[in-house]
Amino acid sequence: MLPPLVRKTWRDDRRAVIGWTVGVGLFTAVYTGFYSQFQGAAELKQNALPQGMLDFLGIADMLSPAGYLQATVFSLIGPLLVLMCAATLAARTIARPEEDGGMELLLANPLSRTAFAIQRLVAAAAGITLVAVTPWILLSILVPVIGMDVPMGNVAAACVGLALLAWCFTGIAFLAGAVTGKRGTVLAVIGVLGVATYMANALSNLSDGANWLKWLSPFYYFIGTDPLHTGWHPGPLLLLAAIGIATTVAGVILFDRRDVGV
Amino acid sequence: MLYGMTSDIAVLAEGLTKFYGTRRGIEDLTLEVRTGEVMGFLGPNGAGKTTTIRLLLDFLRPTRGLARILGMDPRKDKAILHRQVGYLPGELAFPGRETAKELLRFFGDARGGVPWTAVTSLAERLDLDLSRPVRAMSKGNKQKVGLVQAFMHQPALLILDEPTSGLDPLMQQEFLAMVRDARDHGQTVFMSSHVLAEVQSTADRVAIVRSGQLAAVEKVESLGRRAVRRVEIHFGDPVQAVEFTGLPGVTQVQVTGPVLRCTVDGRLDPLIKAAARHEVIDLLSAEPDLEETFLSYYYTGEGTSDAAAAGA
Repeated sequence: MLPPLVRKTWRDDRRAVIGWTVGVGLFTAVYTGFYSQFQGAAELKQNALPQGMLDFLGIADMLSPAGYLQATVFSLIGPLLVLMCAATLAARTIARPEEDGGMELLLANPLSRTAFAIQRLVAAAAGITLVAVTPWILLSILVPVIGMDVPMGNVAAACVGLALLAWCFTGIAFLAGAVTGKRGTVLAVIGVLGVATYMANALSNLSDGANWLKWLSPFYYFIGTDPLHTGWHPGPLLLLAAIGIATTVAGVILFDRRDVGV
Repeated sequence: MLYGMTSDIAVLAEGLTKFYGTRRGIEDLTLEVRTGEVMGFLGPNGAGKTTTIRLLLDFLRPTRGLARILGMDPRKDKAILHRQVGYLPGELAFPGRETAKELLRFFGDARGGVPWTAVTSLAERLDLDLSRPVRAMSKGNKQKVGLVQAFMHQPALLILDEPTSGLDPLMQQEFLAMVRDARDHGQTVFMSSHVLAEVQSTADRVAIVRSGQLAAVEKVESLGRRAVRRVEIHFGDPVQAVEFTGLPGVTQVQVTGPVLRCTVDGRLDPLIKAAARHEVIDLLSAEPDLEETFLSYYYTGEGTSDAAAAGA
């Protein structure tokens, strides 16, 4: 039997998780479904865009099935949606109840501070993971049905990368909320970090001088290794997970030490 | 669990001090609540009542000093301790969008299972409809949900922050009866209030805080005779202050034209007899709030600027 607080957190997050899952699912299905119609247009688009722009957007080629998936589902909007979902759900674990006053009754549960924080985060992370693996579930069906020529192992590698990218930012968002108790701070931290690290990875494609920037970016560890063409890269994926876990641990420890609801 | 208590001190605070940066919450508060008693925790708004309560519950960490609840450490033993504590927050907000029933089920499960009849009988007693979403409830009904969750697991210690706020007078009476029942069952009650009368009718002792410090701990009987009230009489014609200044128990006489304002300690009879010599148009009598009279009794030397400085 799951702890009551985990179930309560799921009940409170239910609408949001369903909404994000449907949104990310629709996005994935629509883009992937357009693959066959898009072939001609992709060629035009690829020819119309300068190479620099393509590099910046992380689009290697839009003609191959792998390139198409990377350009549509995995390059910008997919990660962006998953990140927004991670930020809002992680902000609900501590920061939001602390701001709207519901925290006192939650914290009055017979749980240590540490157990409270962990249960809240585990519940939220489960919801975020569900949203983040929605593309994987859909692509597992759509790729064979549409007949896209991408190895399923490569699709899995990219999709797991997306989920781990979500974990990475969930951990950071949780840490920000656990320390400050302010939802605005959580969203600002994720917004700024998300954009900055996305830019870092994008700019690193443009010139050799800026190439080192990619090492600063979780987006590089997620998609810069080109998993749709090259498959699994355990190192970068583990690093994403490690960032998520390290920030989570830091958040739990710091939350245990501070005053709540002042 | 409830009767297994060995210690006869339910709440102990020793030199408990909390500063928010440089702003003072409470300073050097030492207090004992005995097992099985109802203690009122009185003081004006901003005196540090809520800060004290939040320290006892481990939401805040003390700058100095220590607290023991049911013989346990609020931080280290939180997981065990909070099964035996019922808490009603002063500023009540409920997490989520659930109905009262779902929310109370959660609180019951989280505390290791509460017989549902305990919930329904409390809800019946307070005339609360459990099928409605808590978010959509009036302030009074939310307060009832808060009370149900505090009492439902028959905790050894009830910590209630301003428990009657938002309740209508009938429900206030019901609540006070619940507190008396809790005491009869051997439970300890520590409840804050800024209304003397409400604490007077149920508490065994009261602790009075002012400006973050403990001003006094008194048995309620010794407060009982201080029926101080503020009286305002409107006459048909202008009156002279001297007619009223000498009357027994009458102080702070102020006359502006036909209006007399004064404070009466004890029997009203002398003032009424004196007033009856004139045509009386209106008579207003109110129990003054704690800040004005009760605390000034303990702090005759101090000004009121202190209370304002204590902040919200």
